[in-house]
Amino acid sequence: MHTFNVHGLAASSGIAIGKVQVVSNALLEVQHYKIKKADLDNEKNRLSQAIALVKKDLKNIKKDINQKSSSDFSSFIDIHLMMLEDKNFSFYPQEIIKSEQCNAEWAIKTQLDLVISKFDAIDDPYIKERKLDVTQVAERLIKILLGHQHKKNAQKNPFSTILVAHDISPADALQFKNHNYAAFITEHGGTNSHTAILARGLAIPSIVAVKNARKLIKNNDLVVVDGDSGLAIINPNDQILKEYEYKKNLWEVEYKKLLKIKNVKSTTLNNHVISLMANIEDLGDIKSVLESKAAGVGLFRTEFLFMNRDDLPGEEEQFETYKSIALSMKSKPVVIRTLDSGADKATAADTIQTTNPALGLRAIRLCLSHPHFFLIQLKAILRASAFGKIKILIPMLSSLGELKQVKMLIKRAKDNLLSDAINFDKNIEVGGMIEIPAVAINAEAFARELDFLSIGTNDLIQYTLAIDRTDDSVSHLYNALHPAVLKLISNTINAGKKYGKEVAICGEMAGDPKLTKLLIGMGLTNFSMHPASILAVKKQILESDSSKLKNHAIKLLRLSDAEKIETLIQKINQ
Amino acid sequence: MLLTSTTMIKTKVTISNKLGLHARPSSKLAEVCSKFDAEIWIKKDRKKINAKNMMDILMLASGYKSQIEILIDGEDEQAAMKEIKVLFTNRFGEES
Repeated sequence: MHTFNVHGLAASSGIAIGKVQVVSNALLEVQHYKIKKADLDNEKNRLSQAIALVKKDLKNIKKDINQKSSSDFSSFIDIHLMMLEDKNFSFYPQEIIKSEQCNAEWAIKTQLDLVISKFDAIDDPYIKERKLDVTQVAERLIKILLGHQHKKNAQKNPFSTILVAHDISPADALQFKNHNYAAFITEHGGTNSHTAILARGLAIPSIVAVKNARKLIKNNDLVVVDGDSGLAIINPNDQILKEYEYKKNLWEVEYKKLLKIKNVKSTTLNNHVISLMANIEDLGDIKSVLESKAAGVGLFRTEFLFMNRDDLPGEEEQFETYKSIALSMKSKPVVIRTLDSGADKATAADTIQTTNPALGLRAIRLCLSHPHFFLIQLKAILRASAFGKIKILIPMLSSLGELKQVKMLIKRAKDNLLSDAINFDKNIEVGGMIEIPAVAINAEAFARELDFLSIGTNDLIQYTLAIDRTDDSVSHLYNALHPAVLKLISNTINAGKKYGKEVAICGEMAGDPKLTKLLIGMGLTNFSMHPASILAVKKQILESDSSKLKNHAIKLLRLSDAEKIETLIQKINQ
Repeated sequence: MLLTSTTMIKTKVTISNKLGLHARPSSKLAEVCSKFDAEIWIKKDRKKINAKNMMDILMLASGYKSQIEILIDGEDEQAAMKEIKVLFTNRFGEES
């Protein structure tokens, strides 16, 4: 059989292998026909009865939800019930039947198209996605109207079944829960759709937004679903199948093991405490930070406050956000990085287009060229420091001269607050990002002047190797294990040690479990990463003996041959 | 009609739950509003909708930090306003 791949958005992680069950999409089957005037009342009745039936169904499903289900399910059902009662379903379609003299299915579809066009005009991405709920309610209704068989008790299948659907409603997902579906593939939806949220809650690997999935994939096809990369392999050959069966087992074992170490303290075999912190982009990320048991927020990227808007966030708005984060992290440290826009992250503050944005007016350079805006952010951070343990992190420093200017502005911000008798942490720590090779080489000078250092490996690698990561034609040259990169990191860690200043890595390298042991060997004690990576990195830490790893690291830093480095890394990770 | 409209009460609120007035808060708000006899509207920008309709509230697309105005007219307007305000201050039981 012909093997092929389809791609979508990775919505829920994990690997599944199973046979496909394709679910039809009632909405696409709707046809238009005229209703005789004398029959219009009958048609309207048919619609009312269908609505009543769907309501009954939904209520029954809700009743079936026992205590083991989360309250999320039940409230999703409530929302659908409420939508059914809304005039968009209960009144307008009836009017359409009357005025257009058309069938009930067509009336629902007409009204749905109208509602969807209104949703499409909405900017807010989360609210926009609620149009999927409206569609799901309409679909349920049309299925009843078309007399589709109600698959309440889908046959139990000894093989795992992968569901391929246009979209999956929460009510559907709930019923699926009892049938142990191995994975979902949908044509519709985003990573924030209810389907995705529920799939993650049920730990069912899922891929959404696979265009034409129901055309490409047929019933009973054998499919491999990789929910981490958003890839599905249809009719895999034996070799692929074996490879994924192995991956799947590994993933399941690892996942179970990882959950067990959630509450375990992050220390090496020889009892060195390693601090695992989380990188966040906005307030919404705090929940996963708390769940991951991170030691704090190691990097809050404030640029996301500035993105997707025409104006700039004022001092109050910034203060409220910083304060909420500080409060929800209790007394754990929260490192707030000042605006790092420019290059790949455009905000309303940038007006100048340059040919080489990564080397242009960005981050602290941009802030220092607009000291008035920078002061607003500094004051907001300082004010929030009265509510928790906040630290300031300055991105893209390239010279001590810049640092001096930054310190002057921080002092001015403090003086302003003092004269207004506003409370703040007078001993707030100020750290710098080490991401420009010049600074990593000269790390000691910065370690002297700063309270802590944080290595941004993504930019450090890009600048050291002169590789634009986003450029496909050169991205294969991007290499975290390049000897020059490792030397710069090592130099920075040692500079911190010499002056008794904390050094962290907050780039991708910190969250890559394959590099954890090497970094520990190099003397790193502070990692900051995406909350989802924390357990995998912690697992490496628990298996590490930092004194043994130190010898390996010293050896590795002397190597310059990429192949030898790779071999030694494998040895370190054994 | 003139008489009742003069007694209309109104207040401005800022949406403080992170995801805005999405499906769940909208249905909660519509549910609470429907308990009262008073007429209740929500005004945002130039749009004004009936607060007893969940879909209308949802389609106002009031995101995080956006400002809306609540207008209530009817005998039980004070009680309604009180209860609606509680919903907003509790951020519909969601994260700020």
